[in-house]
Parts: sequence; structure tokens; C-alpha cells
Amino acid sequence: MFTKARRPLTLISALVLSLAGLSTGLLASNAGAAGSTPGVTSNSITIGATVPLSGIAVSYAPVSAAANAVFKWVDSHGGINGRQIKYIRLDDCYGLASYGLGCTAGASVTTLSQNQVLVAQDHVFATVGSLGTAAEESVESYLKQNDVPQLFVNSGSKAWDDPSKYPDLFGFQTSYNAEGKIFAHYIKTHLAGKTVGFIGQNDDFGANGFLGLQDGGINIASANHLSYNAADAITGSSSDIQADVGTLAQNKVQVVVLDSVPGFTAGILEVAKALGYSPTWIISNVGADPTSVDQPSEAGAITLDYFPSATDTGDQWIPWIRQVLTADKADFPKFNASSVLTGNELYGVGYAVAFAETLKAEGRNVTRAGFVKTLESAKLSDPAITPLQYSGSNHQGLQGGVIAKIAANGSSAPVLANLTNTTVFTTGNSASSPLAQSPKLTISPIPSWLK
Amino acid sequence: MIRTFLRQETTLSRFLGVVVLTAVTLAITIVLPPVADSELAGGAAIAIVILGLSWLIGWSGQISLGNSGFMAVGAYAAGIWAHHHATTPLIFTLFLATVAGAISGLIIAIPSTRLRGPYLAGMTLAFSAAVTPIAQNFTSVTGGEGGLFMNSLATPGWFGHFFSGPNATINANAQWTADLAVFVAGITFFFMANLFHSRTGRAMRLVRDNDVAAELMGVNLSRTRSLAFMIAAAYAGLGGALYSLLQASVRPETFPLTLSITLLTLMVLGGIGTLSGAVIGGIIFSFSANLVAHVNSLTGVNPTSNLGANMQGIIFGALLILTMLFVPRGLVSIKTPVRRLFRSRHQVVEAGEVH
Repeated sequence: MFTKARRPLTLISALVLSLAGLSTGLLASNAGAAGSTPGVTSNSITIGATVPLSGIAVSYAPVSAAANAVFKWVDSHGGINGRQIKYIRLDDCYGLASYGLGCTAGASVTTLSQNQVLVAQDHVFATVGSLGTAAEESVESYLKQNDVPQLFVNSGSKAWDDPSKYPDLFGFQTSYNAEGKIFAHYIKTHLAGKTVGFIGQNDDFGANGFLGLQDGGINIASANHLSYNAADAITGSSSDIQADVGTLAQNKVQVVVLDSVPGFTAGILEVAKALGYSPTWIISNVGADPTSVDQPSEAGAITLDYFPSATDTGDQWIPWIRQVLTADKADFPKFNASSVLTGNELYGVGYAVAFAETLKAEGRNVTRAGFVKTLESAKLSDPAITPLQYSGSNHQGLQGGVIAKIAANGSSAPVLANLTNTTVFTTGNSASSPLAQSPKLTISPIPSWLK
Repeated sequence: MIRTFLRQETTLSRFLGVVVLTAVTLAITIVLPPVADSELAGGAAIAIVILGLSWLIGWSGQISLGNSGFMAVGAYAAGIWAHHHATTPLIFTLFLATVAGAISGLIIAIPSTRLRGPYLAGMTLAFSAAVTPIAQNFTSVTGGEGGLFMNSLATPGWFGHFFSGPNATINANAQWTADLAVFVAGITFFFMANLFHSRTGRAMRLVRDNDVAAELMGVNLSRTRSLAFMIAAAYAGLGGALYSLLQASVRPETFPLTLSITLLTLMVLGGIGTLSGAVIGGIIFSFSANLVAHVNSLTGVNPTSNLGANMQGIIFGALLILTMLFVPRGLVSIKTPVRRLFRSRHQVVEAGEVH
């Protein structure tokens, strides 16, 4: 009678107990910070991020590595207000961990589970520079529930600018809406009268970017408004982009705007090349980095740049960034004086500097609420081309950039060439927000304490 | 039908058994650090799905590669509802998901009852493969590839009072989700324990072993097989919904084909057709990240290298081969000293061992 159920049950209990014991031993070692603000001790501050270190978006890995290089640089120069910055980066495979197949992590790993590790085990002060539109949207609610600031999300979705619902959530880069509006202006000025097509990622990345183009006055026929699913890279089907490019080629579309991650930009360019189709490509900043895309046919493409061009020798940030990356032998073992700085590296440096500066301005007494308040009012010096300025009602971050062209580089991967001109465009997310132009770059100087 | 289960004379003992087990697991969640609690919560949800699959394959002899699809149906039912009605009691959302799963299972079962073996596997595979693109492309309902986002499961105020110290909120939230998931899993395990020993369960075994004999005994073959599918799909729907609620989001990527295969692997590793097998499968799932990290650090493999990124496939594959070689009935049949210690004097016939 009872015995029927007893045998399996005792076994289950024994197993649960032994595994529970095992995991306690594995995980309970990190007791966390003792101070009143999580992650902050008298001589250190711990922050974290979930970023793709394997999987389809692995080409973004240098972003957080560059940020880490900045923090190491700061630490080796005495830290900030007596504190060393510890930066924990966990792999979430762009939120597409797919049960551990083809990704660093195990079957149970998701963006949320990695954030749970950062929050509940490592007791981070904040997440800084976590990457991915859908991935980061999936943890907004968890981080808010546990009062963890979500800073400088590496995505241009306008979702990060929602201070009334998420007061501790901050974006960093120019939004896909703003980018779309600037591209629309470029098309109307330089490519007037040509037919325009669009391929975007099937999430807020593609949706916001398309909205920006529309708000900027570009009409795209619904037959030429196409999308791809990032998960296709995992399921092994590339049918989306093949069909998408095929459609645009058939419709003889002359200008194609891409809101794609570098892996898919490369795929799209490759399919187009095979079809002998060569429209004018306009590629979102996040999908255009020539080193990541590594396709010769990307030469000539238009993109938006919000960091100084790597080849711009007049910019005082460039030699400093080279110095910082060269010093970090763990993250950049091969970086040397002749290495090409990529957009990814500049981006990582950008948000790391913004964090360090805000922390500096916050002073010795660091709290989460205080940090957020400081960030909303601080005037930040950043390598970015447009000023980085948050406010109580604006958590988006950068507001614009300059139009740049990808240039051929012999037989190797193309490079981001000098800017087409120095006109800086800035605009907000909404359709009514006007597009402003200023004829000259205003790059802020490096704060002296950072050198 | 429920009356049939309750009439079994061992219902009370099974009830007590599951209550004790659930209570023990709930007690463990108190000791576990919060991250392990969260991992355990996910594992409990997956264990529910594995149990349904285990029932389908172990007891009715039908193979399904479509369980990730059934999970998706349940998860989207819960997700779409919770996205629009944030204040709905959780129990209703989960109930809705279970029903949605059951209906999808029934729909798949109707043509499936005519198919056997690899043909059935192929048919369920097609279903599972179709679900992700459907979710990706019906953007207005499903949120497309970005998916739908829900609020994290709220921890009730009374529960929070048990916690103090600087990390009280974090610990309370983590433990609440774990307890909730374990509790739901406990209910489903109790139900299945009874189902195993019910008239339906016995009929199911007969259909699996000899369908001609079953038909001669008056068992309606297609009805029994459809029922098996429906129950398995209901379990998958519930497990999928619970898993998504724990993730606070429903995304198509959560339900790839690889999930179906992972579920099968976990079920075989644990032991087909048993409650404990499903528990073991769930536990392996829960702590797979720790396992992979541990093996990577033992072998010195760079976790983000190509080899490191595929380490889980290697570990699961090796485990599967070893299990097949040495304990073909799954890890549940390993004769551990602990088991011998508690072994009953009576001869025990374990579920799924009857042939």
C-alpha cells in the first residue's frame, strides 16, 4: 500500500537533499556586501552586466571588454573616491541561450537568470551596459522589483526612456527612432526620388527604426517593409533574409535601410552579392561595424556615427582610448598601436566613462537614489560626438550623430571612414520632435582626473 | 474520471507522500541561497513538463517531439492573458494555460492516433517546428520576436515579513517564486501519481504493450491514446506557463525545437515513466548552468570558446550514452546506498517496470 509510493519518494528526497547541499556549497560562498547600499563597500563598488560572449551576437563582446578596460584603468589610477570598480560580465547569449546549445551557459540560463545571479549572488550596485533590446526588456520588471538601477542599456530602443514607470532605467545610445529620422533626412537630401526598402529585426529594434523613417517622411511600400527573426540563426534557417533580399531585388528597390545586428547585416550583404543586387545600403549604427560585418561589399554604405571616427587623429580621446585598451592585456591581448579602433570599443569606453564620471560626481557617499539623481543632472564629458545629457524626464542618452560612409580597405574588411561632413544631427524620439543641425562637432575634453 | 482516482485505496498514502516531499523541498528552499532558489523554480516548471512527457512515452507508448510546442501554447495563453490583465489571480492564469495546452494536445492527438513510431514523432516534430514561426509572425497578438513582457511575480506582503537584513526583498522574492513553483509541481505530481494507478493508467499500459489485447478487453484505443496526449499537453501547457511567468516574459526563442529534444534527454536521463525520473530531470535542468561552469573550470576550457559554448551538449550527450549503457531505465534505477538503507521489506513493483 504505502510502500508502493515510498521507495521512489525516499529516493527523490535523498536526491533533492544531496543536490541542494551541493548547490548550497557552490553558491553560498559569496555573502555579498555588508554596507547599506548593495555592491558598495568602503573600498570597492561592484557592478555587472549581461552581454553576449557567445552565440549569434558574439561580435558585440568587445563592447563590455572595452568598458572593463576603462574600469581597470581607473582602478590602476587610484579608483574613484577611494573605491575600486569591479565589473562582472555574464554571458546571456543575447537572450537566445537556447537551452545551452551553442552557448556558454547551461540549459537553465536566460537573461533573467543571469541577472538573478548578479543581483542575488553578487549583489551588484547596478547593471551597467547590459546588451540587447528584447533581452533587457525581459528583466526591466525584475530589476525594478529589487531596486537595482539598470544603467546605459546597450540598445537604441526608446523603451529605456520611461522615467515615470522605470525611474532607475537609463539608455545610452541614440535611439533607433532618432536614427531613423536622421536617415530619412539623408535620403530626402541625397537620394531623393529613389525607392526605399527596409529590413529590420522583428522586435523593438526594427519597429522603432521603421517608425523613425516614417516620422522623418519616408514612405516605404508595405511590400518592401521586411523583417527577419534573430532566432533563425539558432534554428538554422536563413530563409527570412534570403526571401527578404530576394523581394527587394525583384522590386528593384534602390535604397535599403537595415536595422540588423552585424551577423545578419553580413548575411544580407552576402545574399545580395550572390544575387548581383547592389542598392545603396543605409545601415543602423549597431549593425554597421565593418570589423564585425567583415564584408567587402559593405564599402560605400551609409551609417550613423555617434563616436569620434577611429581614424580622426585630431580627437584627443582617440590616443587616450588606445592607451587604455593597450594597458588591458587580459581583455585585449592583441591590441597595439596599429590596431584599428572599432565602433564597439568606442561604445564600451563611452558608457564606462559616463559611469565613472557620475560616480566621481556622486562623491564618497554612494547610494542608488543619489546616483540616479546625479546622473539626471550631471553634465558628462564623453567621447561621444553629441553631448550626453540626461534629465528627470529624459533617460534616453545620446540624441543624434553624424552621417558616415564605410570605405573600402584593400582586400581586408572595410573601415569606417572619415565623416562625410561634420554636420551633427540631433532629434528626439517623437514624430513632432524637430531635427536640429549644428555644423561642427562638439566633443567634450577628457576630464583631467581620468588621464 | 477523478472519482476513479480517488477510489483507489492508496490515494491517501500518495497524497501524504507528495505532501511530505513538497514540504521537504519547501524547507530546502529556505536553506538555499536565492540564486539556487530561482534555478529550482525553473527546474520545477520543467519537471512538470517532463512528467507529462514521461507519462505519454512511458505509459502510453507514444513518442512526442512536440512538447516545446505545447509549452509554447500554454505560455502564450498565460502570457497574452497576463499581459492584458495584470491583476488576474495566478491560479486562473495557470488554469487557462493548462486548458489551452490540453486543447492543443487534443487537436494534435486526433490525427496522431492513426500514426505510430517514427511517423508520430515526425508529426509532433512538425507541430513543434511550426509554433515558433507562428509566434514570431503574428506580431500584433504575440509581440513578434521581442515577445510579451509581464510583471515579475509579486511576493505577497505576509511572506516578505519573514525576511530581514539588507537583502530581505531579494531573498523573499527568490524564495517565493521557488515555493510557488514547487507547490504547483507538487499538485501535478500528486495528480499523476494517482493517474499512474488509476483505471486509465492501467488501460494505458495495456494499450502500450498490446493494443489488440486492449481492444479485446474493451479499451477504446483512439480515445485512450488521445487522452494520453491531452494530459501530456496539459502538463506541458502548465509547465510552459509557469516557466514563462517565472521569466516574466514569453518569447518565441524560449520554445525552439531544441527544447523538445532537451526535454526528451532529461526524461531519459531521469527515467521514463516515473515520478522520480521527472524530478531528477528537473533538478539536472535547474543546475545545468552550475554543471557546465564546473566542468569548464575543471577542464580549463575557456567558457566562451567554441568548445566551451558547446560544453552542455557534450555533457548531456556523454551522460545520455552512459545512462543508456549502464542504467537504461534512467538515473532513478541506480541502486544507491541511500536507497538500500530505506528499502522496504516488501517486493515493490515500480511504475513503468511492468511489462
